[in-house]
Amino acid sequence: MTEHWTDRLSDYLDGDLPPAERTALEAHLSGCAQCAEDLAGLRRVVTRARALEDRAPAGDLWQGVAARIGARRAPRRFSFSMPQLAAAGIALAAFSGAAGWVLNTGVPLEAPVAVTPAPPAMLTPARTAAGSYDAAVADLERVLAQGRGRLDTATVRVLEQNLATIDRAIAQAQRAVATDSANLYLNSHLAATMRRKLELLRQAATLVAAVS
Amino acid sequence: MLLSLATAALSALALAQQIDSTVPVERGLRLDVNAYGGEIAVQTWGRNAVRVESGPTDRARVEISRSGTTLDVRVESRRGPPEMVDLQITVPDWMALDLSGVYTDISVVGTRGPVSAETVQGEIKVEGGSGLVSLQSVQGGVSLTGAKGRIEVHSVNQDVEVIGSSGEITAETVNGSVTLSRVDASSVSATTVNGDVEYDGPVRNGGRYSLSSHNGDLTLVVAQGTNASVAVSTFNGEFESDFPVTLTDTRKGRRFSFTLGTGSAQVTLESFQGTIQLVRPGPRVEKDEE
Repeated sequence: MTEHWTDRLSDYLDGDLPPAERTALEAHLSGCAQCAEDLAGLRRVVTRARALEDRAPAGDLWQGVAARIGARRAPRRFSFSMPQLAAAGIALAAFSGAAGWVLNTGVPLEAPVAVTPAPPAMLTPARTAAGSYDAAVADLERVLAQGRGRLDTATVRVLEQNLATIDRAIAQAQRAVATDSANLYLNSHLAATMRRKLELLRQAATLVAAVS
Repeated sequence: MLLSLATAALSALALAQQIDSTVPVERGLRLDVNAYGGEIAVQTWGRNAVRVESGPTDRARVEISRSGTTLDVRVESRRGPPEMVDLQITVPDWMALDLSGVYTDISVVGTRGPVSAETVQGEIKVEGGSGLVSLQSVQGGVSLTGAKGRIEVHSVNQDVEVIGSSGEITAETVNGSVTLSRVDASSVSATTVNGDVEYDGPVRNGGRYSLSSHNGDLTLVVAQGTNASVAVSTFNGEFESDFPVTLTDTRKGRRFSFTLGTGSAQVTLESFQGTIQLVRPGPRVEKDEE
């Protein structure tokens, strides 16, 4: 029974639940400590993502990105369940990358969500996270550009073709999100695809380092 | 002039080296092989020893050394750029393997130990393995058969496949398909950007299964009696099922879920613009043939 409601928590925060189900969930929450705790955890993810600072990438950004991505090579998963959403949100926020989707352009948070409205100056986390992601991508692209002469031309071509494939997927997902910004699948798919690009760039940078 | 050329050719032949060395090993020892190019072919035997054979090479040197619990096999270039060398290595089946290269095809047959294999421009084909089996190629396909344990198979520009294996499976590529066939997994994450994904195996109670693609189709083989909560999401794709399902939740966009049996396993199927199919086990009729 709890598992059934756990799967609904992210939809609850998104305001996606039908009124009857929302009422039932709220009744359940009043008597289920586990679900209440899960909901609080999900809210913390949102709050934490809001609090991301806009920091300039460090000179050795790559090492940190590599270590963090490497630490997450265990099964990756994006779905609608709350624990997975929370894990994904924390992981994404942790490397200041694609966490922007958590707050991306107006995912509606309805009245029951006790997130304190941020002042206008704080309402830029999506931009902030996107900026950090762009910076990380730019760093890794610079590594690849500087090292491409040391890689086999066929390898460079394959890497660039695949990066282009991912870029097309990202662009399509971004357009889809623009048409339906509250769609959790589209947002998580966009985040996953953006992260896939980071991982491929990381792999490319590793290859460059290996032949240097 | 001709005499000089002939002399040089004979010198080269004389320098060409072929290795055939056998080293005794004890349980717990790990084999670490690095070859810049060529082939690393590993097979097993019943002896507690490692045999290393190499094809002829005049510019490369095959070095075998031991440090701690690792037996290292390295191909070093005597001069000039690295050379392609084919290595045939025979190991006890318990031995953990760590194989790597750049322009290197890697094959393993018969192992029962952990395997790590990485290459850039080369195919990886492994039969056997247990514990952590991690295979990664950039430009080549990756194929794993008969493994047990934590399985990670990655490519960038080719297909990856896991056949007749069990455990926890992570399979990923960018431009290629992911095929998981006759597998028995409690946890599956199969992802590609531009390709199809197929899972053919039991969906275990309590298991977690996630198949996703951006451009490709997803196929999940669902046996009678499966207990699973299935969440389906697509943006511009289709959903087809060999059998009727009753939707329990339909969300905005093309997102819905349904329950099979008790709903014990969690199944997530996501394709941005491909068809998501549930099929029954057995031979399938391709649409073109209908």
